[in-house]
Amino acid sequence: MNLDLTWRLLKGGGRKGLLGTWLTLGAVAVSMALLLFAVAANYAFEARADRSAWRNPVATTGVQEKGVQEKGVQEKGKAVAIEASRHDFVRDKDITVVDLGALGAEAPAPPPGLARFPAPGEVWLSPALKELAEQLPADQLAARFPGTKGVLGEEALLYPGELIAVVGRKPDAPELTAQRSDDWIIAKPPVKVASLAGEPTEDAEAYQVLALIAGVLMIVPLLVFGGAAARLTVARRDQRLATLRLVGATPGQVVGMTVAEAMIVALAGAVTGTLAYALAAPLLAGIQIGGGPWFVSDLWPSPLVLGGLLVAVPLLVGLSAVVGLRRVVVSPLGVAKRETPPAMRFVRVVVLLAVLAAVPLLSRGNAVGPIAVVIGLAFLCVNLVGPWVVGIIGRVTARRANRPARLLAGRRLVDDPRSAWRTVSGVAMTGFVAGFLCLLSPGVFNSTGVTGQLQIAVPADQTAAVAEQARTRLKEAGITATVKPVKKVVAVALGTSADAATVDRARTALAGLVPGHTPTTDADDEHFGVQILADVRAGTVVVLSVSFLVAIASAGITAASSILDRRQTYGLLRLAGTPLEVLDKARRAETLIPLTVMGGGAILVGAFCAAPFMIGAVNSTGVITLLLCVGLGFAGVIGAGALSRPLLNSVTADPAPRPD
Amino acid sequence: MNDVLVGRALAKRFGQTVALDGVDLAVRAGEAVAIMGPSGSGKSTLLHCLAGIMKPDSGEVHLLGQRIDNMRERGRSALRRTRFGFVFQFGQLLPELPAEENVALPLMLGDVPRAQAVRQARDWFGPLGLHGMETRRPGELSGGQAQRVAIARALVTKPAVVFADEPTGALDQTTGEETMRLLVEATKHNGACLIVVTHDPNVAGWCDRTVEVRDGHLLAGGVRA
Repeated sequence: MNLDLTWRLLKGGGRKGLLGTWLTLGAVAVSMALLLFAVAANYAFEARADRSAWRNPVATTGVQEKGVQEKGVQEKGKAVAIEASRHDFVRDKDITVVDLGALGAEAPAPPPGLARFPAPGEVWLSPALKELAEQLPADQLAARFPGTKGVLGEEALLYPGELIAVVGRKPDAPELTAQRSDDWIIAKPPVKVASLAGEPTEDAEAYQVLALIAGVLMIVPLLVFGGAAARLTVARRDQRLATLRLVGATPGQVVGMTVAEAMIVALAGAVTGTLAYALAAPLLAGIQIGGGPWFVSDLWPSPLVLGGLLVAVPLLVGLSAVVGLRRVVVSPLGVAKRETPPAMRFVRVVVLLAVLAAVPLLSRGNAVGPIAVVIGLAFLCVNLVGPWVVGIIGRVTARRANRPARLLAGRRLVDDPRSAWRTVSGVAMTGFVAGFLCLLSPGVFNSTGVTGQLQIAVPADQTAAVAEQARTRLKEAGITATVKPVKKVVAVALGTSADAATVDRARTALAGLVPGHTPTTDADDEHFGVQILADVRAGTVVVLSVSFLVAIASAGITAASSILDRRQTYGLLRLAGTPLEVLDKARRAETLIPLTVMGGGAILVGAFCAAPFMIGAVNSTGVITLLLCVGLGFAGVIGAGALSRPLLNSVTADPAPRPD
Repeated sequence: MNDVLVGRALAKRFGQTVALDGVDLAVRAGEAVAIMGPSGSGKSTLLHCLAGIMKPDSGEVHLLGQRIDNMRERGRSALRRTRFGFVFQFGQLLPELPAEENVALPLMLGDVPRAQAVRQARDWFGPLGLHGMETRRPGELSGGQAQRVAIARALVTKPAVVFADEPTGALDQTTGEETMRLLVEATKHNGACLIVVTHDPNVAGWCDRTVEVRDGHLLAGGVRA
């Protein structure tokens, strides 16, 4: 009965009603698509961590210690293979080289992506490395991997296009017995393993934590936006629903109809958002983090999670609609007569201050979970305090206003601070994110290294012999170079004018010279640092882009709905001679005044929350990112507001169309 | 000769519908004129053409001898703000402004400083029986009180003409009568003329003259002999 009436009211809402419905649907669709992205990012990092776990061997002794309470410990603990890995380089790309040797007579189960455990002398290349090896002259790359037997499957790869080689060795081969560098980034020493399952690397876990924080930073504004969209439905419907209450509908019936209407629209929006995400996923997969792009399949959460989101989003929208309708349900005349809204309570500020006080206390520990929760809470509290501050700003503006536009803006802010906050909350929330991230952006790597020089780490007592062998190999390869032993390193100077091809020929000529060690340039040594920096930047850009999209879409939608809600008043004011500029100026001041105050406040709160995680001093890149963020935020909201000016024009242009 | 507002041969169509078809109407200073007619007769269109809200397809409108129908929208808008006052059926007060600021708004739009505008606005509350209502918001006023605030707002700029479109349409009879009495008295006291669109003969009874519109034509009384 109620559902039938709701459906008829939804369909019969007229042009204005339908426009509002479309706006809500669009807002929920954008929210759902971005929510999927935020959630999927976490799954994507998890998928990568799982896929690359086999390259991070767990020593058998470790397994035994850890697995004391597990079944089949003895069997698990039995070493079946030796595994070691290192990084090699070609051009400016890194190649992961994994050396494997079977310990028993029987070949152990192969790692993922390999048809069988590689026999000594066999090499398996990733598709991208195989392709590159075929493209480049053999003396630059292919000669480093003789005996190529097959191609690795996708399940062995961190990302599409990854360069990786798996080399089969005898267990007593120098590559699996020689001492390695202490630098675990460059190489992992040989480890006896019970299986090739491995475990996610510390890097992978760190990325997962960062993805979780990024997810929190993106999801909160999305929830705020989704809530705003739901209340947009209510804003359009409150008069009608108040009338239904006046004619005798029970609070339960009003709530039921509101929830049903909001959820029907939200479900359609959620499905649309999922489809939009499906279309965008191949593009999103191109975002380079951790050295490369993504498999599109990584960017999809499991069907269970997807189904959960498709149910949760409409439920949340329905819940938000109920909260928005609280006053109608409690007092039908409250909305019908537009009484003075209740004042906000100062307790909102107290809650924020309490949460902020908890940030430095909790960040003393190393547990990331509680810190992420506190940051999320601080983020939500900014949203809680926002309307209260907007109300204060409105009072001050109205008291000091001497021009009609500012007076209108100030009174409007006092009248409905929540609505004004919804318009600016997106950018204020982005301000929080920007404030948070500006302190986290590490400084730029300033390479002071020598160009055209390779270095190989060598055991101290072998430097002279290795240097001599290097000279011989380079001479045989026809490469002119000066080779010098320096402490524990043999330096190969190829000259500052040496091109990338010459460097790669030298690398190839020197391959295997010191088992387990790779000749590297200074740039190669900085490769991973630069990559982490690039990842942090990419992550920052992604989080800020999502936040901005939400903020600007939110500002645009609330600006449009505000005009639609007040079209009669605007029309009559214009009819009575009020210049459109005054109405528009009031509307813009209504957004810009709180935006200026709240944007700044949110940045400070964000920076405060990030302070415990700060890496070194504030750097110029972070500050520039912040300034860009603030500038773009203001420009975006002003632009979104300007886009609704034609709507204001149209609703006030023809105030008397009836032929009476 | 002392006509304040004159409409000559006014015609207006909405698609195939003829709203006005050659209407002549003149209003003198201090005169209250009621425009009556059934729904769809064209009475509101006549008011909107006379008030410069819409342009007639043909014909002319003169205010104190100056032609206004051919002005640009900006000029007509300024005219409506400074020389005309408006009272509508409902929805004309800004819900977030207190009553005194709703009344002061037209003065502020004319660059009167806020403090002075509010002072001038308050002067209207006593005569209109609104004493003590100055800081109430429209949602806290009764329908009749809200209409009296609207009358104050229409008159605060001392306009030459006040236009009222069904000003008592949302009020009960007693309140409507009281509102009309105040509207007519205050307008005349202010030296302005009043044009009221209504379908209610009781409302028209408060005016000096009634003209009737049917199918876009004025049946009688548009221009005095």
